[in-house]
Amino acid sequence: MTSRRLTPGRALSYLALAGYVVLLGFPLVWLLSTSFKTPRELASLSPSLLPEEFSLTNFRAAIEQQDLLRAGANSLIVAGCTTVLVVLVSVPASYALARFRSRLRGVAMGWILVSQVFPIILIVVPLFLILKQFGLIDSLAGLVLVDLVWSLPFALWMLQGYVAKIPAELEEAAATDGASRLRTLTRIVFPLLLPGIAATSMFAFVLSWNEFFFALVLIQDPQLNTLPLALARFVGQEGQVQLGPLAAGSLLSMIPSLVFFALMQRRLTSGLLAGAVKG
Amino acid sequence: MQRRTALTAMLAATAATLTGCATSGGGSSSDDTDANGTVHLKFQSLAFADTTVAQTKKAVKDWNAKHPKVQIQLIQGSWDNVHDQLVTQLAGGTAPDIIHDENADIIGFGQQGYFADLKPYVSSALRGNVADGVWNSLTVDGKLIAVPTLQQTYVVFANTTALGKAGVSVPTGKSLSWDDFRAMAKKLTGKGSHGVGWGLKQPAATVLNLSANFGGTWFHTSGDDASLTVGTAEMQVPRRIHAMAYDDKSIDPTSLTQSGGDVLPGFYAGKYAMMVAGSYVAQQIQEQAPKGFRWAVLPPLAGTSSAQPASSQTLSVSKATKHVKEAAQFIDYFVADANLAKLAQSDWLIPATASARTAVREQTGGKDGWDQILTSGENLVDAPFLHVKNYPQWKDQIATPSLQRYLANDIAASKLADQLTSGWKQVGGGH
Repeated sequence: MTSRRLTPGRALSYLALAGYVVLLGFPLVWLLSTSFKTPRELASLSPSLLPEEFSLTNFRAAIEQQDLLRAGANSLIVAGCTTVLVVLVSVPASYALARFRSRLRGVAMGWILVSQVFPIILIVVPLFLILKQFGLIDSLAGLVLVDLVWSLPFALWMLQGYVAKIPAELEEAAATDGASRLRTLTRIVFPLLLPGIAATSMFAFVLSWNEFFFALVLIQDPQLNTLPLALARFVGQEGQVQLGPLAAGSLLSMIPSLVFFALMQRRLTSGLLAGAVKG
Repeated sequence: MQRRTALTAMLAATAATLTGCATSGGGSSSDDTDANGTVHLKFQSLAFADTTVAQTKKAVKDWNAKHPKVQIQLIQGSWDNVHDQLVTQLAGGTAPDIIHDENADIIGFGQQGYFADLKPYVSSALRGNVADGVWNSLTVDGKLIAVPTLQQTYVVFANTTALGKAGVSVPTGKSLSWDDFRAMAKKLTGKGSHGVGWGLKQPAATVLNLSANFGGTWFHTSGDDASLTVGTAEMQVPRRIHAMAYDDKSIDPTSLTQSGGDVLPGFYAGKYAMMVAGSYVAQQIQEQAPKGFRWAVLPPLAGTSSAQPASSQTLSVSKATKHVKEAAQFIDYFVADANLAKLAQSDWLIPATASARTAVREQTGGKDGWDQILTSGENLVDAPFLHVKNYPQWKDQIATPSLQRYLANDIAASKLADQLTSGWKQVGGGH
């Protein structure tokens, strides 16, 4: 058993870690504090870390002014559908990319990389025209499709790395034992790929949950607003901002993401352990 | 087996949700007439303040009740991203039928032919009710691309208690000269406080607009070509701000890197006796200022005049719509005194029509800064930069960072002038 003595190096590591945690945590604490402050306190020249008087006014204002609950439901539909579709498409595709060595693979990988280089503004107009042809403007389905296209390259890139790390010998052994390819995939590869799928779905969910620009140009019907659209309306011209409702709305909008992360985090860990045993 | 069932269920759920999503949206159309012959028009409003949003909703609701055959659907947009949104939607032919924006932003769209010509639909009463300079600022290639609603000017807000303590009387009259403003700021500086806090995080619009006080035009247009001049008149405002910040120290230099709203807490706390900002900031002061905080709007700043370019919020009609007439009728209703005067008071902006300005003056009694704010709107002119094709790009990519560096005391005035001029060529100025 190794000694857990606190050496200067270890102490420094802990200190650095603590500093990092504080750095990461401070904006969240500030957001939390701001969301509970009264408008007068928010306009104070010497803001305090904690609210002097806890008020729910900002939460009420955020929910009432921008119909955050409906926007949250829309975001959940879009992010949920996008995540499911990204996983469904990227699992077989990434397997093919990682396992089947051909000239096409190199081209595909190159294209995936190049597709990440395009600025969003360059593709949005042609994409918009295509979606219009299919009647998908101003619909959540159109938004899911765009988010899917937008998330897929990175998801594929990410997942094919996970597939590549699964020893091919395991599949060969299964094949030797008489398992079909489908059985090999579902019983051998898929369980080992769970951590990768969890990480990819987290990525897809967050990307879609926070996506703003596509939603801005595609969605017009107020009933179909997503959360980022609703939150953007707390910002006006030339630095005008309704800080309290914006903070409260942002805090509320983080909850589904955190819940999803908590659920996926468990999968990530269990998948890793499963992989360790089987590998 | 369980896994297969789960997978099938997941696919079915996704398909069902997507089907539901697809049917819930309709997509925009340029001819939204239903089976009953009712025209449905989409109106994207950028109203920001709660009171303005409420007033806009009321105006739409009232219109819909009175005009069952032309129904307006209100869409809430966002100032922050409206340009990129409109670029895409107008190119895709799915922009809202009635579009709320500002004149500095819509000229480019107008030059590309995305907006309907509203000239045939504007009544003679409305035409005579708005200053010619304002109409000119909205005219592109002889076509009227928008109707103005509310206008913004830059005004000086003063903490009257701080002025009183320093023995400085609140100026009255039609204008306040820049020299007097500077002298006041000097008197109000000391003991840890500054005469002025000026949120100039995005300095280009403010500097260019106030330059009109000294006859600074910046641009000269000839057909599609435009040339930039950065001369004495144009440099007056940046030089004066710089001198007040670094020679007199009467403007807090740290405030120059902040947005207008960021300066407000310091203004309330007495850190700044005055602040310069858009007139709409009066609304925030009214709502947020501590109890007992006494404030006033000072007379418009003046150099050789109090002129400021017409900075108008506007309503345009997408050329893709087949119901320009109905859209124009709604706009005419929207800018009627009864609506416009209330909207102006919600946003603390100046109505574009003279009759609505009179209504605001009567309804407010000129109190809470209204007298000076309305006075500041009497000298609005059509600025050349509003018609220059590459102006938005130059403003964002060249003028804003160069002015930020100058106001941060990083570069000299001569370097600023060089950067502004060479930057104009860099963005393909005039072509």
